[in-house]
Amino acid sequence: MMQGAASAWTTRDRASVLRARDRALFAHFLRRELTSRYLGSVTGLAWALLSPLALLGVYDFVFTNVFRATGFAGSSFLAFVAVALWPWIAAQEALMRGTLSLPGYAGMIRKVAFPHELVVLASVLATLALQFAGYVAVLVVLKLMGQPIHLSGFALAIPIWLIVALGISGIALALAAVQVFVRDVEHVLAPLLMILMYVTPILYPVSLVPESVRSIVAANPLGWVVERLRDALLDGRLALVWSDAIAVVTALLLFAAGHWVFRRLSPHFEDFV
Amino acid sequence: MTPDADVVARSKTIAPVRATTPPPESERPTTLMRLAHVGKDYAKIETRAGRMRLVFDLLRGRAAAHAYRALDDVSFTLERGESLGIIGENGAGKSTLLKIIAGVVKATRGDVDVRGRVGALLELGAGFHPEYSGLANIDLAAALLGLSQREIASKRDEIIAFADLGDHIRDPIKQYSSGMVVRLGFAVATALSPEILITDEVLAVGDESFQKRCVAWMERFLDGGGTLLLCSHSMYHIQKLCAHALWLKDGRVAQYGPAEDVTRAYLAYHEEKSATAKAGMPLAEAKASGAYAIEALDASADQVSQGDDVSLRGRAYSPDGRAPVVVVGIVRADGTPVFGIASDMDDVAVRRIGDHAFEFSITFPALPLAPGKYWLRAHAADPEGMRVFDHVERDLVVRGRTRELGVVHLAHRWHDGVDR
Repeated sequence: MMQGAASAWTTRDRASVLRARDRALFAHFLRRELTSRYLGSVTGLAWALLSPLALLGVYDFVFTNVFRATGFAGSSFLAFVAVALWPWIAAQEALMRGTLSLPGYAGMIRKVAFPHELVVLASVLATLALQFAGYVAVLVVLKLMGQPIHLSGFALAIPIWLIVALGISGIALALAAVQVFVRDVEHVLAPLLMILMYVTPILYPVSLVPESVRSIVAANPLGWVVERLRDALLDGRLALVWSDAIAVVTALLLFAAGHWVFRRLSPHFEDFV
Repeated sequence: MTPDADVVARSKTIAPVRATTPPPESERPTTLMRLAHVGKDYAKIETRAGRMRLVFDLLRGRAAAHAYRALDDVSFTLERGESLGIIGENGAGKSTLLKIIAGVVKATRGDVDVRGRVGALLELGAGFHPEYSGLANIDLAAALLGLSQREIASKRDEIIAFADLGDHIRDPIKQYSSGMVVRLGFAVATALSPEILITDEVLAVGDESFQKRCVAWMERFLDGGGTLLLCSHSMYHIQKLCAHALWLKDGRVAQYGPAEDVTRAYLAYHEEKSATAKAGMPLAEAKASGAYAIEALDASADQVSQGDDVSLRGRAYSPDGRAPVVVVGIVRADGTPVFGIASDMDDVAVRRIGDHAFEFSITFPALPLAPGKYWLRAHAADPEGMRVFDHVERDLVVRGRTRELGVVHLAHRWHDGVDR
C-alpha cells in the first residue's frame, strides 16, 4: 500500500493485486450501501420506491386535473412525466448521496490506506441501480394499466442510464471531494437541483416553451436525457442520433474531470474529513 | 491494517493461505522499513474562505499557503525482528509518523520505504465504520486487506475469541466503549499475521486483563520474528517490548537509540520540565495576585556527607500581614517525597521582620539520608495551613559510601548476632 515504496517484487504484480483488492473492496461497499441504506430496513426500501411514486401521483393530479395541461403529443401526462421524472429523481438522489458519502467513512479514511473514490462510486451506483429497478417496475405497471409505453425502448434506455451514471459519477466525485473541505456544497446543491429540474423539460414538452428561449432550454444536456428516453419509451424510436455521441463524450469528460479533481484533493482528506 | 501489496502479491501467486505460510527465507528482505528525512506539513486553515483557497491551491497542484510542520527530518530504519518504540509528548508528531508509515497520509518531504505486510492500529481503532456491527467491520477489514470472504471466514472465529466482546460483536461499533473498539481493533490487526505491527496507544485503553493479553501477544510475536512499532506513553511497556526507541519532540527526532537510554532521557526531560513548571511564580506576580510566597531560601550547604547537619533559612511574604505557615520538605531527585513538616504542626510561628515579611530557619541534625541527589523545598501556605502556594527549592547532594539500601539510614540493632 505504500505508494512510494520501492519493492523487491515487480510493479506489475503489485498493481494487479491492488486492482483485485480494490474490486473486492468496491463490491463490499456496494453491498453495504444496498443493504444498510435500503434493504436493511423495510421503511428504507419503501421510501426509495414510494417517494418518486408519490411525487408522480401529485404531479399527475396537479397537471391533469388542476392545470388541465395538454399538448403531450398524444400520450398521457402520467406516462409523459413518469418516463422522465424517475431518472431525474434517481440522478438527483445519486448525486446527493455520492456527494455526502465520504464523512460516513471518516474513521476509515483517517486510519486505513485505500482508494477513497470507491466510496463515492459505490454510493452513486447503488442508488442508481435501485432506482433503475423501481423505474422498470413502474413503467411495466403503467404499461399494464394501458398507458402507451414501448417496453422495447429499454434497449436504448439502458445505455442512456449508463451514460447518466457515468456523468453523475464524475460530478459526484468532484463535489464529494470539495465537500470534505467546504461543507456548503450540500446547501448549494439542493436549491440548484430544484432550479435545474424546472429548466429541464421534465414536466413540460419543449414544444410548449416560447420560441425565444427554446434554443436555450434545448441546449441543456439534461434535456437530451429526457428527450431520448421519451423517444425510446413513448414513441418506440430506437434510431441513434448525433446528439448521442455528444452525450457519450460529455459523460466521459465529466467523469475524467471529476476523477481528476478527486485525485488532486483526496490525499488531503485525512486532515479534513 | 494495511497490507503491503508486495506480500499480498507474493502470496497470491505462491500460496493461497498467505497468512500462515511464510515466504522462503531468501525472499524476505531484512530491512522492512527505511525512512529518510521524512517531513509532513499540514495546512493551517482558520476561515471558511481559507478552506476554499486551499481547494483551489490543491487543484492547481500547489502547496497550502499556510502550513505547519507536523513532522520534519525523521530518519530511521527498522530491520526484520526489531522492535521500535515511539515516544514523545502529545502533539509531537507520533500519530502523523505512524500514519505515514501505514500509508494513510503521504509524506510532504523525504522517502518512505516500507516492505512486508503491515498491520496497523492507529489512534485506537482499525478504521471501523461506526454504523456497522463488529462482525460487519471484521468483514470490512478483510476486504481492505484483499481477503476473500472465504479466507476471512477461517479467521473470523479467532478474531471474535481474541476480542472477547460476547454478544456485543453484533452491535454497531458506535455503541462500543473505546476499550471495546481497541479490543476488536487489536484482534483484527493481529489475526491477519502481519509482518510489521504498528500500534498507537493500544495498551492505554484496554483493561488490565486485555493489556496483559496484548503484551503477551506482542512478546510471542517478537519471539516469532515479528517486527513491532509501538507508540506508547508507558515507558514501562516501551522498555519491556522495544529494543530501540525514537523520541519525537515538536516533529523532530530528539533522540534515537537503545530503548533504555532514550526512555531515561525522556523521563529526565519530563522531570526537569515539571520542576521548572513548579518553580514557583515570580515574587512580583505573587504579590500582585495576593498569594503567600517564599521570597528567599538559603541552605547551609549544597553538598553534605551522610550524618551532617543541614540548615535552611528563608524569608516568606504575606499579602495581608498575617504570619504564613511555612512547609519544609525533602524530596529525592526522582520525585519521591522523603519528609515534610509544616511550622504549624510543630506550633512554631515564623518571625516577623516587616509588615509583610517573615523569617524562618530550620535545622535537620545528623541527616540520615542515603547518598544521592535531593531537593530541599519550602512552601508558603496561608495562616490556616489550608492552601499551599508556590515553592522554592535548593539542590542537595548527600555524599557517602554505603551499601545500605533505600532512601534513609535507619537506626537498627541485630539481636543474637554472632561476629563473622
